[in-house]
Order: sequence, then C-alpha cells, then structure tokens
Amino acid sequence: MTESRLTNTLLTLLTYAVAIVMFFPILWMFLTAFKTEQTAFDIVPHFLFTPTLDSFKLALAQGNGYWHYAFNSALSAVASTLIGLVLAVPAAYAMAFFPSKRTDFTLVWMVSTKFIPAVGVLIPVFMVYKSLGLLDNIWGLTMLFTAMNLPLIVWMVYSYFKDIPKDIIEAADIDGAGTLQTMVKVVLPLALPGLASTGLLALILAWNESFWSLTMTDHKAATLAVFIASFKSAEGLFWAKMSAASVLTVTPIIILGWFAQRQMVRGLTFGAVK
Amino acid sequence: MSHSSSKREMSARARWQAWLPKLVLAPSLALVLFFVYGFILWTSYISFSASDMLPNYTWVGTHQWSRLWGSWTWGIALHNIWVFSLLYIVSCTLLGLLLAILLDQRIRAEGLLRTIYLYPMALSFIVTGTAWQWFLNPGLGLEKTMHELGWTSFSFDWLINADMAIYTVVIAAVWQATGFVMAMFLAGLRGIDGEMIKAAQIDGAPVWKIYLRIIIPQLRPVFLSAVVVLAHLAIKSFDLIVAMTGGGPGNATTVPATFMYSYAFSRNEMGIAAASAVFMLAVIAALIVPYLYSELRGPRS
Repeated sequence: MTESRLTNTLLTLLTYAVAIVMFFPILWMFLTAFKTEQTAFDIVPHFLFTPTLDSFKLALAQGNGYWHYAFNSALSAVASTLIGLVLAVPAAYAMAFFPSKRTDFTLVWMVSTKFIPAVGVLIPVFMVYKSLGLLDNIWGLTMLFTAMNLPLIVWMVYSYFKDIPKDIIEAADIDGAGTLQTMVKVVLPLALPGLASTGLLALILAWNESFWSLTMTDHKAATLAVFIASFKSAEGLFWAKMSAASVLTVTPIIILGWFAQRQMVRGLTFGAVK
Repeated sequence: MSHSSSKREMSARARWQAWLPKLVLAPSLALVLFFVYGFILWTSYISFSASDMLPNYTWVGTHQWSRLWGSWTWGIALHNIWVFSLLYIVSCTLLGLLLAILLDQRIRAEGLLRTIYLYPMALSFIVTGTAWQWFLNPGLGLEKTMHELGWTSFSFDWLINADMAIYTVVIAAVWQATGFVMAMFLAGLRGIDGEMIKAAQIDGAPVWKIYLRIIIPQLRPVFLSAVVVLAHLAIKSFDLIVAMTGGGPGNATTVPATFMYSYAFSRNEMGIAAASAVFMLAVIAALIVPYLYSELRGPRS
C-alpha cells in the first residue's frame, strides 16, 4: 500500500516537472516582460526581481502602434467569427435535419479544406485581392479568416445539431411550428453551449492566424501577428518591451483557451476525439 | 375550390421546404469551393504556365516542374521537411502517449496539468516561436544564462548552426504539439473497456505488460488520427519557421511552405512557386482523402 502511494507521489511530481518544462518558454516571456530593459540583460538573470510595469507602459505607448494592431486583430477575429456563424448555422441545420444523399459527400469535401495548406491558394488569392484592391484591407483579411474557419464551424455546429434528439424536432413539428420557428425557438437554445464554444474556437484560431496576416497585409490592416513577427529584425534591443507586447497578445488566449480546451482537441481532430 | 388552392399552397410550401436546405447551404459551400478548390485549379494551371513575376498564361508544359526538380533549394526543402516530419511525428506521438499514461494515474490537479500541457497549442506560434528564438539565441537566452552562472564552456548554438538549426525547429514544434497529442491519447485511454484490464490484474500481470499487450493495441485508432493530424501540420508548417529561423541560416531550415513563399514573392518565380504548392497539395491529398473517407463516412455506412 505504502509502496503504491510512493509510486503515485513520484508520478505526480514527474507530471508537475513536465508541466513546468512545458510552461517554461511562456513563463520566461512573462518574467522578462515584468523587468526593465537593463535587468533583462543583467548578469545572472534572476528569478527574484522587483516586477515593474515599465515595459508594458513602453509597449503600449503611443507611436508603437500596439493598439492599432490589437484593434485589427480583434476586429478581424470577432467579425470573421460572427459572419462564419451566420453562414454556418443555416448550412449545418440543413445538413443535420434535412440530409440528402449528398450530405456526407458535401461534409467530407468541406472538412477536407481544413487540411489544405494555405500556400496552395496563395497565388490566386493574392492576384484576386490585388485586382480588387483588397490587399492590406481589414475586410479582405476578415473574409479570408471567414473562409478559413467556415468548414470547421459548419462541421462543429453540424455535430452539435446531430446530438439533439430527433423527437424534440418532431414534437415541435406536430405542434405546428414552422422550420424557422423550430430552429430559433427549439434547436438554437439547445445548441447554444455548442455554438458558443464553436465561436470561441473560431475566435482563437483567427486571433492566432499568421499566414494570411503576413502575406496579405502590410501596415494598415496588419494584425498583432505581423507586429510580433517584426520583432525578429530588431532582436534583443528592446527585449523586455517586446516580451510585454507578446504577453499582451497571448493573455486573451490564455484566458479564452482555458474555456475552449475541449473544443480545441475536438475541432482539430475533427471529432476523432470528443 | 378552396381545397385545390390550399393543395397548391401546400405543394408550393413543400417545394419551398425542399429547396430551402439547398439554398441555405449554398453560400457556405460556394465560398469554400470557390476559395479552395477553384483556386487550387488556378494554382495548378499557373504551374504549367510561363508566369514569373506576373501571371502569364502561355502554356509551357512541364517546364516549371522540371525547373522545380532541378532546384538545389527545393532539394534542401524536401530533405528538411522529411527530417522534420519524421522526428516531429515520432517524438510527439511517443511523448504524447507517455504523458497521457502518466496523467491517467489519478494524478492530483489533473485538469490544471492537462490545460498547461495544451497551452502551447492554443497560443499563437508567432508569439511562442519568438520566445523560443530568444531562449535559444546564443547571445540572449540559455547559453548566455549558463555562461553568467559560471559554466563558461557551455555552448548551445544550434539556432545559428546550419547543420543543427532544423533540430531547434523540431524541439519547438514538438513542444507545441505534444500536449495536444496527449489530450488525444488521454481521451482514448478513458474510452478503454476496464474489464479486460481488471481480468489481467487479477491474473497478476505486471503493469507494463498490461499497457503493452492490452491498452496500447486498443489505441490504434488514436495512433492513426494523431499521425494524420501531425503529418498535415508538419507539411503546413510555416509560422514556426518564420518565427524561429526565417528559413536560415542560409537555406538550412527552408521547408516547402517557406520555399513557395519566397519563390512567389521575393524571387519572382510564380510558376515554380505554383508547382511546389501543387506538389504539397498532392502529398496532403494522398494522406487526407482516404483518412477522411474512413473517418467521416465509415461509422454511418
């Protein structure tokens, strides 16, 4: 008995050690952000230091553009998620409750697009956007985020609708409720938790997106990903300030990610893991 | 009279009901099909055209393709992605499985640990990759810290060493995805029927034997999903390279995605870039299409 308790304690300690190792790069970034530029470079980098918000003040100062990039990130993430849900809910509803022979086929091809590398469509997207004047345009970027997340949203909403017992729909039908009424009054309230977590996942993916932000925007519509990527060229000079900006970029996701972890695994494996 | 009009009304309504699902599905389907499959066809066409800096739709057959295969850099990109994918898939799968087994031992605060393991996947890799780049940079992070702590002979310059740089990318990528693979395996472990395990325990089988003979074989579908998901993530990897090495030093960490990007935008070789993109698409399609068919269609039919 004591032996198994000892094993258990050792295993627990091991999992904690792994967690610390896993979290270390993020922790390192957080610690640096609460230092000044001088202490960030100090001899013997100490873990015990007086935290300061100086670097955050510098990162958020006018002229750095943090707010400009953060606004673009927030706008494109929120707008693409909302547009995605508006398009996906009726589509998923149709597939879940009015399936045709081709529903499976449609679904497979929709989901397959999530696996396609963005470089496969980069040249045409770039040319179309150039001729339409959508390069470095926040709505152009939002549209790409929408198209990027739509298959995932459709698929996830579809799977939540599928979980709703058919009896409830039939009961509403017998009561004389029309399709729209059934959807708005019966199905959507039942699927609301699922819709919310799908939206959350889409929001996180759009906020984190970097490929399209890096290729389709320059400055006007650039998001935080572009801002952070630009740090590389100035490496080491303003380390604490850059860490502070990075911390500000990941903090919303650290909070949202806590609530969306299940959906993340479910979404990224397309239901192979529920 | 009123009967027939109501009948006509009913059939109009029925027709409307039949069309409505198709109608509401159309925008999503059109958007996805146009943006993705339409543009893939377009990319394929460009790969057979004379496009360089600007699109030029003169048909040149497989000219761009032979230039792609003749390119020294493309050879490096293919070699890198092969090394990277292999190490990435194997390490993530093994570490993920190990972590899942660890976490399955009724560990205290399991929920918190699971979340911490998953965080690297949830955070933008442009950000965490930049943190890794600082950490592994000899002038800033680990090496400098060790020197200042007195271990002056400590050296870790893989990030700027052309022979080793690809392995730093592997380390960061494994760090990012391991927790995610762990979550997949943990869900698999929780779904295993306990009866056989109990029977084996009663027979006095040692724990490692139970895992090796009973539990791990039952996780086969999870292995398949993990490998497919990891393989496509590996082939798509772009932000990882951009954040950590930018493809350098030299071409040491060039992979197909960064190759494609630089040929399309900085080297003005749109035709070659398109050919490389089509090649990546073909590899992914060969991997994904059979998997999706079995995964999404299998259970119902």
